[in-house]
Amino acid sequence: MENLSPHFPALIIIVPLIAALLTSAAGWLNRRLCFHFAALGLFTSLLVSTGLLASVLDKDVILYRLGGWPAPWGILYRIDRLNGLVLVVIFFIAFLNLIANKRTVEESFPEQLGGFYALYVLFVTGLSGMVATGDAFNLYVLLEISSLTGYALIGIGHERAPLAGLNYLFMGTIGASLYLLGIGFLYLMTGSLNMTDIASLLPGFYGSPVMVLAFLLCMTGLFIKMALFPLHAWLPNAYSFSPSASIGVIAPLTTKVMIYVMIRMTFDVFTPDFSFKMMHLGEVMVWLAVAAIIMGSLFALAQTRLKRMLTYVIIAEVGYMVGGFWLGNRMAVTGAVLHILNDAVMTLCIFLAAGAVVYQICGDDFEDLKGLFRKMPISMAAFTVAALSLIGVPPTCGFFSKWYLISGGIAAGHYGFVVALLFSSLVNAVLFFRIIEIGYFEPFSEGEGGHGVHHGPPAMEIREAPAGMLACLLLAAVSLIVLGIYTGDIVTRIIDLAIPPAI
Amino acid sequence: MRIIGLLIVIAFGSLLRYGVFFFPEWGDPASPPSLHVSPHYIEEAIAETAVPNLVTAVLADYRGYDTMFETTVIFAAGLACFMLLRVLQRQVPECRLYRHIPTGITLRIEKGGKLPTESGSFERIDSNWVPHDLIIKSTSRFITPFLQIFALYVIAHGHHSPGGGFQGGVILGAAVIMYAISYDLRRSIQRIGEQATAVLGSAGVLIYAGTGALCMVLGAAFLDYGALAGLLGVDPVMARSHGMLIVEIGVGIAVSAVMVWIYYNLSSAGRHDEGL
Repeated sequence: MENLSPHFPALIIIVPLIAALLTSAAGWLNRRLCFHFAALGLFTSLLVSTGLLASVLDKDVILYRLGGWPAPWGILYRIDRLNGLVLVVIFFIAFLNLIANKRTVEESFPEQLGGFYALYVLFVTGLSGMVATGDAFNLYVLLEISSLTGYALIGIGHERAPLAGLNYLFMGTIGASLYLLGIGFLYLMTGSLNMTDIASLLPGFYGSPVMVLAFLLCMTGLFIKMALFPLHAWLPNAYSFSPSASIGVIAPLTTKVMIYVMIRMTFDVFTPDFSFKMMHLGEVMVWLAVAAIIMGSLFALAQTRLKRMLTYVIIAEVGYMVGGFWLGNRMAVTGAVLHILNDAVMTLCIFLAAGAVVYQICGDDFEDLKGLFRKMPISMAAFTVAALSLIGVPPTCGFFSKWYLISGGIAAGHYGFVVALLFSSLVNAVLFFRIIEIGYFEPFSEGEGGHGVHHGPPAMEIREAPAGMLACLLLAAVSLIVLGIYTGDIVTRIIDLAIPPAI
Repeated sequence: MRIIGLLIVIAFGSLLRYGVFFFPEWGDPASPPSLHVSPHYIEEAIAETAVPNLVTAVLADYRGYDTMFETTVIFAAGLACFMLLRVLQRQVPECRLYRHIPTGITLRIEKGGKLPTESGSFERIDSNWVPHDLIIKSTSRFITPFLQIFALYVIAHGHHSPGGGFQGGVILGAAVIMYAISYDLRRSIQRIGEQATAVLGSAGVLIYAGTGALCMVLGAAFLDYGALAGLLGVDPVMARSHGMLIVEIGVGIAVSAVMVWIYYNLSSAGRHDEGL
């Protein structure tokens, strides 16, 4: 353990990579091993990333030279408090969702287990690599890995999933290409790909239009990838048709990691001075975010299927974080960063609950949800906790990040953003109480056919989700409250120190 | 809608064109990319890695970590095709065509009919590829060994001339694909099965990642081939060159296997029965 600890930054990526390769091979040689390889790889990374976060709290920044080459000639990994935290969240969510969906994966892909788990673990590898890397081009390569595996994970679903996956592929490829073009422009101006190195060279080029273009290209690419309104059109279909096991990891992580990458690019590559003060983009971005929040919420209201409704909630949530970040004051940025963490866990919890419901009743029309509280009390309890957190009710974590965001909006004097946040909280309340009402008060639909046979309420049987799924769901629900309780610590010990003092 | 699209494209295009006015001159030796990082590669690569081909040195050593993930991208593409296209339920086709080799007569056997036994006198032919094709078969049989040897040369000689694992792997994969096209898919799958392509694909990437992990076990950074010096019995600079060869071999295996794997799935729409 002692002599391995300097290698932690590489291990968090390498262990899942090798696990994915072994998983894929095991799919052909001994299928029972697939799940174990995948789970072991992700669990090891979860432990290592936790250790990494612990050591980063003392040491500020940990650098790791891949191949032993110093930057800017080689590729550098750079772990600081912020991405240390995001890494732990990534592996926590990926591991939990993997365990929860063991059953559904085995039933949906009995002969392609190795392929599915390998894609899953590679997807997580790509995301965590994007977060850990300190090299702008290496980020693109890992973006390709997570995108490619993401398209496949979405495309293997039922109904129109392949078409939705193809749409996502077109949009995602455009986004990734724009990012790559932006990096190309940066390289053209500075001759470097290392983030810190670019940042130190850039002040000489602040006036140059190429810089502005590079910034706009990178950001637009990332906006497409994070599904910021009006570039969100790929998301609802892609997310609502994909299998529960895929969506349980894609929905919580993709958009959030992209938002982290946006933060990383603006802070560590383009520097806050340039991004906030010289680009005059903040105002536009916050209004775009306001539009995202309002439109996302309105679209969510119009849906009649649970998973589809949740996808629009995600679009609104993206607006929260983007808006909070571009407000550019300390309070709002803290809120945005905190919301990355909270929203990831909330989305995990709500999608796990939705996955459990879909698994048990084979449908997610609001009609199908009648009487669900009596049938699946534990799952629906967890669903309610996640819903409360999305609405922003204390002591769940959703309240605290929303509090920071709203305070930041008030501090910046941007009342449009504040109103949008409050509006969206109200809409979320309507959305989720509607579901809770259907599930709690309306009678279970199967009993309706039997009027002539029984009198009185139909016999109600508890048919809960499988134990593994339930345990993970409960753990996710509990962590929402735990995160809420420890918000103070997370903010003062990690986020506050991670945001550059210039803000 | 179309007009809006057109306007966006024009606006975006002119924005990019506008940016180009502020680029450094094409090929300007005083432009930042030629002054900042590249001089180090050009001046030091041979001394530091003992590889005369600069591109290989940058690709497989200085930025070898990127290349490992590029290989992984290819592997992921193979996996994605497998997951999306592969049809695993056996479907009996509507009809099958067999050719009686001595006479050249083609038999069409409807679903449910009795199929010829696996004697030497019948061969199954694809429903969309009936004619005898002696020229194509003989030519491909003649070319294949040269193609394969050339592929190995490209992989092995990447240190000194243009080439390397990706290019060599593609050529090697193309040799198998040519066999599948000129004969038929079933025969190719008999020689190199789906399982072999899939396992070799992950094995190739595993060679790359494993080499990196070995360096780590030996106490250096991930992919720091210098650490292999003791194992290989050469000095650390030469060990870098050898390390690159090892990972290039891994890349070659992965790329060729995945090419074939993707071809099997694409050409037969995942049925692995009849294809191009």
